[in-house]
Amino acid sequence: MVDRPVQVTGDGYVSSDTCRACHPAEYETWRGSYHRTMTQVAAPDTVRADFDGVRVDAVHGSPMALERRGDELWAEFDDPGWEGPDAERPRIRRRVVLMTGSHHQNIYWYATGHDRGLNVLPGAYLLAERRWVPRSALVLHPPGQSLAMLDGHWNAVCIVCHTTLGRTAFDTPYRSAPFAEQAVDTTVAEFGVACESCHGPARAHVEANRSPLRRYRRHLAGNGDPTIVQPVDLDPRRSSQVCGQCHSVWEYYDPEDERRASRDGLPYRPGDELRDTRFVVQPAVDRTSADIRALVAADPEFVRGSFWRDGTIRVSGREYNGLLDSPCFRDAETPERTLSCFSCHTMHKTPDDPRTVAAWADTHQVSAGMDGDEACLQCHEPLRADPAAHTRHAPESAGSRCYNCHMPYTSYGLLKAIRSHTVGSPSAAETAEVGRPNACNLCHLDKTLAWTAERLDAWYGVPAPPLRDGDRTVAAGLRWMLAGDAGQRALTAWSMGWGPAQEASGTTWMVPHLGEALGDPYDAVRFIAARSLRSLPGYANLAFDFTGPRQARVDTAVRVLREWRASPAARLRREPELLVDQRGELRVDAMRRLFDARDRRPLFLRE
Amino acid sequence: MAQRTGRNVDYAGRHLRFGWWSLLVFLCVGFVLELLHGFKAGFYLDVTNETRRLMWTLAHAHGVLLGLVHIAFALCLRVFPDLGDGHRRVVSRCLMGASVLLPGGFFAGGVRLYGGDPGLGVAVVPVGAACLAIGVFLVARGTAAGEGRRSAAGAAPPPARPASTRPRSR
Repeated sequence: MVDRPVQVTGDGYVSSDTCRACHPAEYETWRGSYHRTMTQVAAPDTVRADFDGVRVDAVHGSPMALERRGDELWAEFDDPGWEGPDAERPRIRRRVVLMTGSHHQNIYWYATGHDRGLNVLPGAYLLAERRWVPRSALVLHPPGQSLAMLDGHWNAVCIVCHTTLGRTAFDTPYRSAPFAEQAVDTTVAEFGVACESCHGPARAHVEANRSPLRRYRRHLAGNGDPTIVQPVDLDPRRSSQVCGQCHSVWEYYDPEDERRASRDGLPYRPGDELRDTRFVVQPAVDRTSADIRALVAADPEFVRGSFWRDGTIRVSGREYNGLLDSPCFRDAETPERTLSCFSCHTMHKTPDDPRTVAAWADTHQVSAGMDGDEACLQCHEPLRADPAAHTRHAPESAGSRCYNCHMPYTSYGLLKAIRSHTVGSPSAAETAEVGRPNACNLCHLDKTLAWTAERLDAWYGVPAPPLRDGDRTVAAGLRWMLAGDAGQRALTAWSMGWGPAQEASGTTWMVPHLGEALGDPYDAVRFIAARSLRSLPGYANLAFDFTGPRQARVDTAVRVLREWRASPAARLRREPELLVDQRGELRVDAMRRLFDARDRRPLFLRE
Repeated sequence: MAQRTGRNVDYAGRHLRFGWWSLLVFLCVGFVLELLHGFKAGFYLDVTNETRRLMWTLAHAHGVLLGLVHIAFALCLRVFPDLGDGHRRVVSRCLMGASVLLPGGFFAGGVRLYGGDPGLGVAVVPVGAACLAIGVFLVARGTAAGEGRRSAAGAAPPPARPASTRPRSR
């Protein structure tokens, strides 16, 4: 196999097949996880999309034609590398060889024919929706800006966290020369995130444990084996770094590090200090170091594309950055009281967990019982007896769930909102200053920020911050939806489809605003708005293609608004905060003012 | 009833009975294992318990096989009354020991698991295997010795012994 990256063991790596013989339970739960399938060889039994003579219109340019030849998958599409006039763009036919993603979406990579270099198909497949979408629509990305050419992108970038010990093996730094002029001999120890990503290279462990006497001595003694790393046995800070090697925003300290990693794979091994070999970006505490200034100088949008203004992470897949800024981790004084990834997650479903492996994997590998308040109560035990005294919400309500207030949905990724992993308390001040939605208003979307500030003051003694007029007169959800940046709009649109928010805020008033969002310039916002709208009564069968022609999208938005206006029952809430006047009409002038104040700076969230 | 000495023990009868009862017991074990399949018992079928499944399958297979060995041995004693003469007691004990230790060890090894390793009970399996090997070796040597005696006698049937010295084996 010369036209795509291949699996090559070595450097102490033996692959998960070797681990299986002695650790069948662990192997099986890992096998059922989405870590294993982060990258797979594209084949009829791994891809979820149909390749058998299918024509895909949902791509930029001419439709993509898919074909299956035996066990091979082929695609014909417009040549993305063409630099001449669009009208003369040639068609190319390439073999699809790898696939990333298996939980929410499949992204397909084809062999470019240049060494082992890959490029991405112009369309990607959404699993839940069972439909193709243009690749650019998968991410929150400014309209009208084409995404960078991704030739070699998998080899140089994706490989780092979608495989085990990826060696990019570019002869010169990626993008330092035209891709076609670079030699690419990419290999990996294993496709997907496998055993040795978290336990380290296992050859020494395997060799040592060929002796049954040694194994049974270990079994009977019940203590650890020094020939292998057990992340859960590490100090909580080190154990979290095992996850943080992928779930963080980081960069090389210097170009030489990149060259070494290209040749040998990343030098970090589980149990090492992560910062010894890479710069973990943490703008909340470091905005002035030479490292971060160099990053921003090279890419002015580097911080804004991943973090809120106060340095809190705002994109998915970077949960270690959130953990670093959490008081439960940052301020903990003893290992026993230090929050770590393993406080709530487990990488191997335990035998006492009644869920199936698929159910466990589907819920982010949260440990048994840790999908609720127990996750927090394991440390905050005194709150167990009378939760309502702390939460000020009915004990069984969504407002009494620890996660909903302290880990709200303020991160974005995978066309949805993700819980923040910066554990914190709701703050009106942070919302006012930084723009990050607070937990209270993500549920009480129909209330103003001033309302939240007043409640936090009355209940918890948090002084109300100075607020703008609009924060006192317009529901926070609508301010984000109309005036916020694309990320805020996406989060708010998602929250309008979130059950607890619908229950707390009601739904009828949301319709015109979700309808308006169907015309949002960002693909991702339109997609999320349509999904939330379909969750509202009467809109389950809404016909809307978020990548369809602009006029069709506008027509749908207008139709939604007309239907809402025609229904007196839908306009029962005549509250100025919801931009509905006493006659039940939308306050178009107020909406326009907010719309004019919208944060229109282009935003590319780098999930 | 007179007590039997080592010389006049009815080995053929003993191994015939043991073999058939052993077959019955391990066929029942096989039936139970099939039930575990039928009812999809997780503690037996789950991939995480594949070592248990292997151990108990081996216990069943070895039990049945050894039952057949006992029956074969008994039938051989009937056909060749001199078979293993002088070592018959050792052979009998070895086969009996193997019948207990091999399936018993595999079964015990499957009760408690250490990841992909069986429980400590499996440690008696090599002892059982050694018993079986010794027993089979002695029987094999006995058949060779019997053949040698028959060859020396011109392939004639072995002469009948005086009634007082004839072994009680039938």
